[in-house]
Amino acid sequence: MTVSPPQSVAVRMTAVSKTFGGNRALNKVNLEIRAGEVHALLGGNGAGKSTLLKILNGVYVPDGGSIEVGGVPLTEHSPHASRRAGITMIFQEMSLIPTLSVAQNIFLTHEIRDGMGLIDDAAAEMQARELFMELGVDIDPKSLVEDLSAGQQQLTEIVKATSRKAKVLILDEPSTALSNNDVERLFAFIKKLKSQGVAIVYVSHRMDEIFRIADVISILRDGKHVVTGPVEDFTMHSVVEHIVGKGSSKGSGFHGIERHPNQRSDALVELRNVSGARKPRNINLTLYRGEVVGVAGLLGSGRSALVRVICGIDPIVSGEMRIAGNVVKMRNPRDAIANKIALIPEDRRRQGFVADHSLADNICLPVLDKFSRFSWIKADSARQLADELIKRLRVKTESANNAVSTLSGGNAQKVVIAKWLATEPELLVLDEPTAGIDIGSKAEIVTLIRDLARQGKAVLIVASELAELLVASDRIIVMSDGVLVQDMPRTALDAGAEHIEDPTDRLQIAEQALQLAIQTRGTQ
Amino acid sequence: MKTAITNTAAAVPRMLSAFNHFATNWRQNIIYFGFCAIFVIFSLTLSEQGFLDVNNLLNIVRQTAMIAIMAAAMTFVLSAGEIDLSVGAVAGLVSVTTAMSIAAGGPALGVGVGIATGLAVGLVNAVLTTRLGIPSFLTTLAMMGIAKGVAMWISGTGAIPILNDGYSFIFGGGNLGPVPVLMVWIVVAGFAGHMALRKTTFGRRVLATGGNATAAHYTGVDTKSIRTKVLLLSSMAAAVAGMLYAGRLQSGRFQLGEGDELSVIAAAVLGGTSLFGGKGTVIGSIMGALMIGLINNGLLLMGLEYSQQLIARGAIIIIAVAISQVRK
Repeated sequence: MTVSPPQSVAVRMTAVSKTFGGNRALNKVNLEIRAGEVHALLGGNGAGKSTLLKILNGVYVPDGGSIEVGGVPLTEHSPHASRRAGITMIFQEMSLIPTLSVAQNIFLTHEIRDGMGLIDDAAAEMQARELFMELGVDIDPKSLVEDLSAGQQQLTEIVKATSRKAKVLILDEPSTALSNNDVERLFAFIKKLKSQGVAIVYVSHRMDEIFRIADVISILRDGKHVVTGPVEDFTMHSVVEHIVGKGSSKGSGFHGIERHPNQRSDALVELRNVSGARKPRNINLTLYRGEVVGVAGLLGSGRSALVRVICGIDPIVSGEMRIAGNVVKMRNPRDAIANKIALIPEDRRRQGFVADHSLADNICLPVLDKFSRFSWIKADSARQLADELIKRLRVKTESANNAVSTLSGGNAQKVVIAKWLATEPELLVLDEPTAGIDIGSKAEIVTLIRDLARQGKAVLIVASELAELLVASDRIIVMSDGVLVQDMPRTALDAGAEHIEDPTDRLQIAEQALQLAIQTRGTQ
Repeated sequence: MKTAITNTAAAVPRMLSAFNHFATNWRQNIIYFGFCAIFVIFSLTLSEQGFLDVNNLLNIVRQTAMIAIMAAAMTFVLSAGEIDLSVGAVAGLVSVTTAMSIAAGGPALGVGVGIATGLAVGLVNAVLTTRLGIPSFLTTLAMMGIAKGVAMWISGTGAIPILNDGYSFIFGGGNLGPVPVLMVWIVVAGFAGHMALRKTTFGRRVLATGGNATAAHYTGVDTKSIRTKVLLLSSMAAAVAGMLYAGRLQSGRFQLGEGDELSVIAAAVLGGTSLFGGKGTVIGSIMGALMIGLINNGLLLMGLEYSQQLIARGAIIIIAVAISQVRK
């Protein structure tokens, strides 16, 4: 396939490696991206996509290997050097300055100047307006970025990247915040850039998009390059197979967890036609005591929106929610807590605990009122509760007086769970409970979650890692575009694999089945 | 016909957006209303005490020039998400080093040493903040003590006279016809600062760094260099202020500029600059400084005791800042 290439090579990466504290994020990856092609880069969570993109963009410095852009080796690794070489990237996490205007953001670091060398904002606004017109979107270049919606910010981000005549344009999940119409505009725009000879690296979890827009597909797994080929050579099945892998991902930490089937008892939470402001839409869902329900879906499918509505963070716009048969109205998280719903948030460090405070202080924080008289805290009984929960969840620490910052990720997560267990919740909602936790502790957290269900709690978990959902859940629901498209028992995903003895292989087959269910929006 | 319709259709949202612009930005511009309101109130109530005398008004300008110049630079520091608490002490230190150098080698040497002092302090602040990662709040808080200590030490806590009329004329004491030289300094600082913040790529990068440092870094802004430059700029402005104090009072002494950091930061925030970075206006800061001068002058003319002045001034500043900081 390298014989007389019809298009010149825009980027050539040779044996690029990157290690983070003993963890190999990228292992000798070779990749070639040609001018005028849309090159889809695929892989599961932790496959190394983001690391690869950040190296290309100069945010990370590779440990080994070389990168050529347009035949010229990249000798310096910084965002500035990559920019000079003609690489621009649209970040998943926004790179816009909220306090500057749209036009000022688009031309940041390459401002239009007048004859005196001073910035000409009027000209920038005019050019920005033209760029938006090309894309067919209506955004006022004068408005401040902080006043834009998420979708408008995403489009601004795209216009910003294309305003500087890039040779290589990297799009990382560009469609997540976009409406269907905006996605169509984006695709038309990408085709136009492609015809101008721009090499486009497209990262997305949405496979239908990949098959529509990509020319070439490359797949990474566990930091290694697995396969590259023209899009015609792939089917959705084969892509999923390559992403999940065969017998090679025992390292994910979820294999070999013993699953005792849990017994669900009475219904605890019932959602009847529940809709949020935008997402989710018309959700009918019942959560039972003694059962773990896993929520699967792509980014932007409404997974977190569902969680936010259940936990009182976002309001329910229509429909009703019942708890133990009674209709409840929740206006804020305090109402949810009063209704014995506990949310264990995704971002532990920011939302879960106070790192410099002791385990005991963290655990007792939500129930301080219980232990105080005239706001004088009764230290003994608070300490007793903390010790009890630390023992129950097997948190590894010498003393409840140690700061949470001294704990490993897994144990810190247990502290967060302990903190909410102190409120004696009936429904536990966990958002990405094992994200950022070392492999050894992941299994422990999952076992803990299942134990809690066995003790009679209702549990709802959201996770991007499918293996995690599969080992933790008794029932799995699939979300797409804010709608619940499938509600199935976990065992349904073992269909056709009952005869397979090896639990790792079985899990892998279930993972593929679930991945397909997510990608095809539950129509299979 | 069709174009006429689209034109009017387009005009309505444009008017709406202009209205929204005003509605969301009136707090940023409140300094101008506040300034006018206070001016009118003092004019009506204090005319017998001579508030409106040209001499009194020019005196306000003279007393405020140093704060205004430091506030213009502080706008950059705050906009970049940093803070500089050392400006007052640095002004005092520079007044001393300048006075000593003038005595030793004439005004040219004095100005050179004054500027060098400011550069040196700014460089230390910047290196500690950007290379060692110590928050500028702490670096400059420590520098405040160090600068004051050095000034006391080398001057033996005494005043050092300046016996050079040319220096005193240019740096603070002189008048060009009816216009005090200090007013020229304010206008120059305001104009140059305003253009630099609004119209140069440096200013844009300062606002970007303070608005979201990570995003700015990803976009290719060298945020370390920007933070270095704003801290240098602030110390340089403090050095100029110190030389102006020295020229105006024809002597250098460590007490000059004492406590100015608070007035400078208050002036900038009053003017509409955000303490959290990303938003700033130099003209606003200068108006803020003038407003503080106005208040000081008015309270003095009212015959309030110094203790009462302090209380009234604090209350007025809190009210003004509270109004300008209320979120949408």
